[in-house]
Amino acid sequence: MIRAVNLTKSYHRHKHVVPVLQGIDLELQPGEFLSIVGASGSGKSTLLHVLGTLDKADSGMIFFGDERIDQLSSKERDRYRNEKFGFIFQFYHLLPELSAMENVMMPGLIGSSLFSWWQKRKQIKKRATELLERVGLGHRLHHKPREMSGGEMQRTAIARALIASPKVLFADEPTGNLDAEAADEIIRLLREINREERVTILMVTHNLELARLSDRVVKMSSGKFSPLSVNAPPLGYQPLNDIPHLCLPAPQV
Amino acid sequence: MYKFLLCLRYLRTRYLAFVCIVSVMLGVATLIVVNSVMAGFSTKLKDRFRGLHTDVTIESPNMNGFSTPAAELKEKILNSRAGEFIEAMTETVEVFGMATFELYLQSGGSEPITMPVQVIGIDPEARAKLGGFAQYLTTPSRREKPSFELDPKALARWHHLHPPVDIPEHKPLIPGAPPLPDPPRDPVKPMGCFPGFAITHYRSTDPVTGAVNHKPLLLMGDSIRIVTASATKRLEPVYADFAIADSIQTEIPEYDRGFFWVKLEDLQTIRGMPGRCSHIHIRLKDYSKNKEAVEALREIFPDEREAIVQTWEDKNRTLLDAIDTERGILNLLLFMIVGVAGFSVLAVFSMIVREKTRDIGILKSLGASDRGVMSIFLGYGLLLGGLGAGLGIALGLTIVHYINPIEQFLSKNTGVGFDRRVYYFEELPTHVQPEMVALVTIGALLISVLFSVLPALRAAMLKPVRALRYE
Repeated sequence: MIRAVNLTKSYHRHKHVVPVLQGIDLELQPGEFLSIVGASGSGKSTLLHVLGTLDKADSGMIFFGDERIDQLSSKERDRYRNEKFGFIFQFYHLLPELSAMENVMMPGLIGSSLFSWWQKRKQIKKRATELLERVGLGHRLHHKPREMSGGEMQRTAIARALIASPKVLFADEPTGNLDAEAADEIIRLLREINREERVTILMVTHNLELARLSDRVVKMSSGKFSPLSVNAPPLGYQPLNDIPHLCLPAPQV
Repeated sequence: MYKFLLCLRYLRTRYLAFVCIVSVMLGVATLIVVNSVMAGFSTKLKDRFRGLHTDVTIESPNMNGFSTPAAELKEKILNSRAGEFIEAMTETVEVFGMATFELYLQSGGSEPITMPVQVIGIDPEARAKLGGFAQYLTTPSRREKPSFELDPKALARWHHLHPPVDIPEHKPLIPGAPPLPDPPRDPVKPMGCFPGFAITHYRSTDPVTGAVNHKPLLLMGDSIRIVTASATKRLEPVYADFAIADSIQTEIPEYDRGFFWVKLEDLQTIRGMPGRCSHIHIRLKDYSKNKEAVEALREIFPDEREAIVQTWEDKNRTLLDAIDTERGILNLLLFMIVGVAGFSVLAVFSMIVREKTRDIGILKSLGASDRGVMSIFLGYGLLLGGLGAGLGIALGLTIVHYINPIEQFLSKNTGVGFDRRVYYFEELPTHVQPEMVALVTIGALLISVLFSVLPALRAAMLKPVRALRYE
């Protein structure tokens, strides 16, 4: 589904060059739920942003299916983010002025002109309501983010990420700001969505417990996937052999 | 679509936005009020000037007036090329003089009052056809068919003040000689005049209420003596007594204090210039053709030393230009005020963009384009500018509508106000020009958009990742 080849990226701070990604190769199978774990500063969030076209790598290639997406014009990248990708962030990132419903509809609003919105509005509203009900917020449709709990906000964000029926969901520390119970709920929700809607999920987290629930876990440190196995496949992931119970087989597609 | 939603939401939830709206509103309201008042002043002044000076004047630089009789001059004009431009024409005699009258004091004595005036001899009916005269007469009934005839009450007063001189009964010196015929006993018919309103009235300020009102100094039928110069080769003083038939109030103090209107024939007789005149006033059929008309008239009167042909605008050029210049400068200064309002838009917008940085990142992560984000903030600027301008128009027009009560309230409570001794009019004149309101509105909108461009660009240029990380 998504394939990255030899991605590198570094930040420049004054005269110092801080390497963030140092030659990342990754392949994400359709319908896979992949977790990237690693300490903060290991470059996992940057990798997620680069793959999600929110940020650009210095070198390397990213493919979505057969199309190379890292060199697309900003307009086309906007379209990718609007239609094919969904994002979930640690701090929920809901628009505070809008209600849960409006937040969920936002990608639909962004993707349509005044006229096409008029045509599609019922459909989008229906889908937004369904999604909010799906994430268990059927009773919170018209609440503003500040009237909701962290878990509720994150579930709203998930509903928003799903409104355009994306192919890939990027989750950047989706549980980082939640207590254990709410975090567990969110991961289970993602798992369900992944299974039911066949949405590919790439999750970045530092919580190994939660990463366990995904299909596959890779570990990142210092901008590289940690070589934990001698028989590491050339393109792809590194099973976390040092944490045996996290080693899950890659799904056969 | 999301742009509209967000614009409206930001408007509703950002109290800071109201600062922008209020500053634009005040700027727009100020511009409208000041312009309307200035336009009111200038329109009213121009109206008076044009009325009093008439469209075109042919003036003799010689104090004795034209040597050619007026009737001949008029015929010459009418038969020339200029004739086709002329709707009405009348000759006048205008000369400086002194007016003097007795002021009866409460103590019982009297005090002579003398003042310089411009004596204007007119044919009232012909002059009324040129406009800018009859409507200023204080007695409304005279405006229809103006004449210098005194009304019965005034006439009675005049006769009371001027009793017929009693000629003692004639006694023949030679006894038996036949008696001489009786001298004429018919009461002398007074010569009527229209002094300026400020000659016959004085302004009194009520010490308690502060209200200003006019009290008559002279009544109709009172007599005023005019002393002026003869129109003979050797300057000689001449004088005559006139009876006040009415007064003329133009609301321009200069004219109300200085003009003294009498009958043309009377002035001609006094000055010894029967049939002659010093000015010919012309009303044009179409004032827009004034240049052609003046040109045609100058063909008849080529010598400037013999006759000066001028439009009312030429005559008042300095004052009219001064008004225009004043208005231009004031507008420039006031536009700077709106510019200051523009900076407040800029400041508030920069703050809002900063505050909304994360939202911008979110929108971009959801697929919003740079242009889309920019148009949110540009649209927001336009919305604030539009609302500010709309409210400003409403406020400005309201103030213009109630300008006089407001001014009275202000001058009563603060002492700052429109000094009626300095200005020409009793009330603040206003004139709202729609094109001016439109221009001010467009200007305000333009400034709001221009000043929101910078913050909007900044918002659009934000890298989504940085915006998302922004705390």
